[in-house]
Amino acid sequence: MTKVVIIGGGWAGCAAAISAKKAGAEVTLIERTDLLIGLGNVGGIMRNNGRYTATEENIALGAPELFDVTDSCARHKNIEFPGHKHATLYDVTQVEPTVRRLLKDKGINILFESRAIDIIKEDKKIKGIVLSDKSVIYGDVFIETTGSTGPMGNCLKYGNGCSMCILRCPSFGPRISISKRAGVEDILGKRGDESYGAFSGSCKLNKDSLSAEIVEKLNKEGVAVLRIPEEDINLGKLDIKVCQQYALKEFAENIVLLDTGHAKLMAPFYPLEKLRKIKGLENARYEDPYAGGKANSVRYLSIAPRNNSMKVRGVDNLLCAGEKSGLFVGHTEAIATGTLAGHNSVRLSLGVPLLELPRNLAIGDIIAFANEQIITEEGLKKRYTFAGSEFFQRMKSTGLYITDKEEIKRKISRVNLLGIYNEKLI
Amino acid sequence: MKYRLECVDAGSEYCPCYLAETNNCITCSHLQGKQFCDCEWRGTCIYQEYVNNGYQKTYQREDIPVQVEKRESIGSNCMMLKIKVSKTLARQLKEPGAYVFLRGTDLPHYFDVPMSIMEADDSNGYIYISYQTLGAKTKKLDEDRSEFLLRGPYWNGLYGLKSLKKVSEDNCLVIARGIAQAPAILVIKKLIKNRNKVIFVVDKGVVGEIFIEDLIDGLDIRIIEEDVQSENGKFLIKNILRNEDIGLVYSGGSDVLHASVINMIDQVGVNPNIVITNNNEICCGEGICGGCTIRLSNGVRAKTCKTQLEARKVIERRVFDD
Ligand SMILES: Cc1cc2nc3c(=O)[nH]c(=O)nc-3n(C[C@H](O)[C@H](O)[C@H](O)COP(=O)(O)OP(=O)(O)OC[C@H]3O[C@@H](n4cnc5c(N)ncnc54)[C@H](O)[C@@H]3O)c2cc1C
Ligand code: FES
Repeated sequence: MTKVVIIGGGWAGCAAAISAKKAGAEVTLIERTDLLIGLGNVGGIMRNNGRYTATEENIALGAPELFDVTDSCARHKNIEFPGHKHATLYDVTQVEPTVRRLLKDKGINILFESRAIDIIKEDKKIKGIVLSDKSVIYGDVFIETTGSTGPMGNCLKYGNGCSMCILRCPSFGPRISISKRAGVEDILGKRGDESYGAFSGSCKLNKDSLSAEIVEKLNKEGVAVLRIPEEDINLGKLDIKVCQQYALKEFAENIVLLDTGHAKLMAPFYPLEKLRKIKGLENARYEDPYAGGKANSVRYLSIAPRNNSMKVRGVDNLLCAGEKSGLFVGHTEAIATGTLAGHNSVRLSLGVPLLELPRNLAIGDIIAFANEQIITEEGLKKRYTFAGSEFFQRMKSTGLYITDKEEIKRKISRVNLLGIYNEKLI
Repeated sequence: MKYRLECVDAGSEYCPCYLAETNNCITCSHLQGKQFCDCEWRGTCIYQEYVNNGYQKTYQREDIPVQVEKRESIGSNCMMLKIKVSKTLARQLKEPGAYVFLRGTDLPHYFDVPMSIMEADDSNGYIYISYQTLGAKTKKLDEDRSEFLLRGPYWNGLYGLKSLKKVSEDNCLVIARGIAQAPAILVIKKLIKNRNKVIFVVDKGVVGEIFIEDLIDGLDIRIIEEDVQSENGKFLIKNILRNEDIGLVYSGGSDVLHASVINMIDQVGVNPNIVITNNNEICCGEGICGGCTIRLSNGVRAKTCKTQLEARKVIERRVFDD
């Protein structure tokens, strides 16, 4: 039986594990922390703008499992906030344990607190992954989904230092780039000012530290927009953000809070003193990252070159997904690319042609579009998401943005891909 | 697989050091002049410490004057010293692999000689050291001095510290020969503390005496005295390896002894963790002078005064080179 080894248990890794398992592989998932879904533990926004389309496409392609979880753990459905429509907010305290049970029930072998530090390679093939205790996990095909965040030295050199984010490098050790260990150079995202990487775009406030009025509004409506005092408005800050879909003027003039169990603050970081000047936030404190008053994690420093089937160029048996596979932002983007990589890992082991999604699907187009853009200097400064900025514009103008579930299904059945991820290949 | 080096000082109060300032850090890729993180993680971010400290090294070890409380001749050409130090220093030195530099107060710094700690008494502030008089540096220690300059603590006297600290409730074989009886004491005590069963094979070696009897008296270990390089000794060690389900082997002695112990392990076909004494000529102890550099068989150069290496890798290159 084909043994697929996945490195990194974020959304991309979890999605890859499920689709590789469904295609018939024996699957081992290696995660350096004690939690699955990685940055998904601090996100929560789903189905906003073009993500709705991508979600329904992935479901119609035969991989509904993780979206069923995020839908069922939703605190709010179909809400609006500046620039964003029909969003679902999942409860970050509910999702991880649900995903964990799902993966275990599917018979996926998960290794927690197991950090990959190196590879064993023969010619252009990876044989095994070396863990920090020097044990080796051997496999036939490997999928790298280690994300692109940190570690500490990078967050310091290209940001404001370790902010103690959910990935907890000081406790569990740093991320590494498996593809680089395999001899493939990383591609690095840039900012407008040419510096490397980008700050994560939001933090979380502890809900109990907010005024009763704000808490009530959040619980009821999911959104609270609070005016920032004139002297503290800083438009320049929008440039450093990862999430260009939220780099709007509204987000500079207002504090936008979203209810994801905690109060998600749509700013990379915000000095506590200034924050507490805002009505209702007099006692506010950060829940994630702990030093959200000073810094946030730095991302996009480790992208592997790949083809549109998610196979890493230059290594025979390595695929990638999520932030590792491009300048992608988002849970939906990680799940969609992860699902494809997992499915293709089994095809690769069988020597049959890999699946490439057609460009008349939003998922197929983003995978190909991000690949075209990443080879340009300007493209390295952009981020790709169904939820906003350039790619959402593109979805709208090319007619890819569809919110009718039945129509999406019909479209996928026309290209003969309905339920493709459900096919057991071995 | 690429070999990333682990500095024994990483994360200690002496890190970052001069090597960070000169972009020669053993562990951190940023402090080697590279652009991105790529380190053998030691539980701490050296770059963060460096930046937080204003792009400077931290406080570094200095020479301090210390008094000799007792000097005792032990066997041929060997001496034991009891030295008064602060309780803090004694505590820092109460670790397997700990060593200090000693020299006469009137001598230039190149007389500094590295000395393994045999025993440290942290409630009263004493350390015990044994040495064999060999060359210029040790001969200069012999004169009837009551005061020395001491620099420390240093920790890289053993390779395999990680497995030594980790092993618990297991069977361990400790082999020590000659003057290397001294550093074996802290090893044995560490192993006992972690509820291991210890078999101690001790060999007088050229010292001609078992000088640590007092220090191991009353410890719950099995002691066997034997010439470990003799046919009898080898037979004994192989028997232990074969029958006692040994999880860790410690070899204290020359590289020839290390090579022979590793050889026996391979002949018996067992796979215990291996810890050995670091026998390289250590000069500055700070990774600066380069006197201790060795070349591993994969071409990697390592400064052994600070770098933790795998026992097999160290010995392998010895066999290659010598
Ligand atoms: C604060 C914040 C808020 C966000 N909010 C949203 C949101 O509301 N909606 C949205 O769609 N997106 C959001 N995002 C973006 C989104 O979370 C990410 O783009 C997406 O989750 C990335 O998934 P991934 O699987 O590619 O990577 P990651 O989530 O980074 O997962 C990588 C995993 O690999 C593990 N790993 C790394 N190195 C190793 C190693 N050497 N050995 C073993 N394991 C390793 C890590 O521990 C981690 O679990 C947010 C991001 C942040 C930081
Ligand atoms: S002893 Fe000077 S560099 Fe190691």
